[in-house]
Formats: sequence, structure tokens, C-alpha cells
Amino acid sequence: MSKTITKEKVFNHSIDQIWNAITKAEEISTWFIQADFKAEVGYNYTFTSEPNEKGCTTISGTVKEANPYRLVYTWIVADTKVETTVTWTLEDLGNSTKLHLEHSGIENYAGETALAMFDSFDGGWNNCINGLTDYLKEEVNAR
Amino acid sequence: MQDNITKLFKAIADPTRRDIFHALVIATSALSITQISNQFDMTRQGVTKHIKILNDAGLVQMEEQGRNRFCYADPKPLKEVNKWMQFYSQFWDDSLDNLGDFLNDKNL
Repeated sequence: MSKTITKEKVFNHSIDQIWNAITKAEEISTWFIQADFKAEVGYNYTFTSEPNEKGCTTISGTVKEANPYRLVYTWIVADTKVETTVTWTLEDLGNSTKLHLEHSGIENYAGETALAMFDSFDGGWNNCINGLTDYLKEEVNAR
Repeated sequence: MQDNITKLFKAIADPTRRDIFHALVIATSALSITQISNQFDMTRQGVTKHIKILNDAGLVQMEEQGRNRFCYADPKPLKEVNKWMQFYSQFWDDSLDNLGDFLNDKNL
């Protein structure tokens, strides 16, 4: 079974607008997660979710590739010590741009203990990351 | 499958349940409802409600011993890689939706 997540989405925006959105710290911080990021190979970046009373989840990793329009970085959630890889590829379709996202290495979570996984949730994902928080709220309220 | 992960998220979305589960994971033996309620300064009813949700999610198993029910943690559901696949799949869907909103707002 494939342990890689693949997403594709077409945006009605220019390839450079999207490239900026995924590579510039200021823009990443607006739509994704508070970011200390530079699109330079070897840069050790940090994404920090918004703080709350329980602290925060940090995602960190190293930029492996950053040539327009392909961006690759490792992705390690704070307490899990599991390294996965996120790859963004953009394709110019003329009036629109296709974004291809790949998140691989998720099978590496297999050896994780429940406790470490729990720590990564604790005060982290479900409290900090907007999209997921909304998702959880909806799911919980729907029951 | 979707239903299972919903239950799992519901179970761990609550900080008290995370704490109860955590206590069961690190306990050397199964704990009774009474022991858990003492440890968390909660009513037995309150603990029972949380345990039921954890049990539905498959995170806590129960054993009857005489008149007492003992609970122990079962972290297996959390270890399933598929849960992480689903978790991240939803995460990226939501994130790309946010990216779309961000790009649209910027164009205004």
C-alpha cells in the first residue's frame, strides 16, 4: 500500500503568485503556519503553530530542493522524531496553475509509540492549526 | 474507516480524555473506574462517560473482575499508519483550501 499522500489542485493564479505563497515566510505565515522559512537548499526551517495555554506544536525540517517551481523539504513534527518529506511542484497551465503536493514517508510513523504520537497531538494539532481545528470542531459537534 | 477516525479524533480532542488515556498508558496495571476518578478528582459518572468514548474509539479496553470494571489502554489504533494517512490527507486538503482563499483575497 502506498504511504504517500498526493494532492492536486488547480488555482486561477499565476505560477509566481503560488510560488511566493509557498516559499515566502510572510505568505506561508498568513495562510498556513507561522513560519521561519527560506527557500534555500540546506535552510533549517521552523513552522510554529499559534501559541495557546498548552504550548505549541513545532514542525521543522531542512529544505532539500528549491528551484522554481519545485520545493522539497523534510517535515518532522516536534515530538515524533519521524522524518517525512513534503514536495511541492507547480505547473503552468497558461491561465491557471496546477499545484502538485506529495507527502511521503508516512510509513515511518509505524514504529512510533502511542505516547510520542499523543504528545504531538497534545496542545498541538487540534488546538493550533486552523484548518484542522475547524475540522475537529465540526466532527465533534456533528456527533 | 472514516467513522473510526472520527471516533478517534473525538476521543483525543478533549484534554481530559487525553490525560486519562495518558494515565492508563503509563499505569503498570489496569485501573478501576474508582481509581481513575480518585486520581482525577472526578465523579465516577464523569469518568465513565470519558471511558466510554475512549472505549468506542478502541483506545481503552475493559475487563470485568467481580463487581469492578478495570480499564487498560490500547494504543493500537494510534499506531495504525492509515490513521496518519487520513490525518494528513485531511490536513493537506484543508491547507490547500486555505491557500486558495489566501490567493483569492490577495487578488481583491
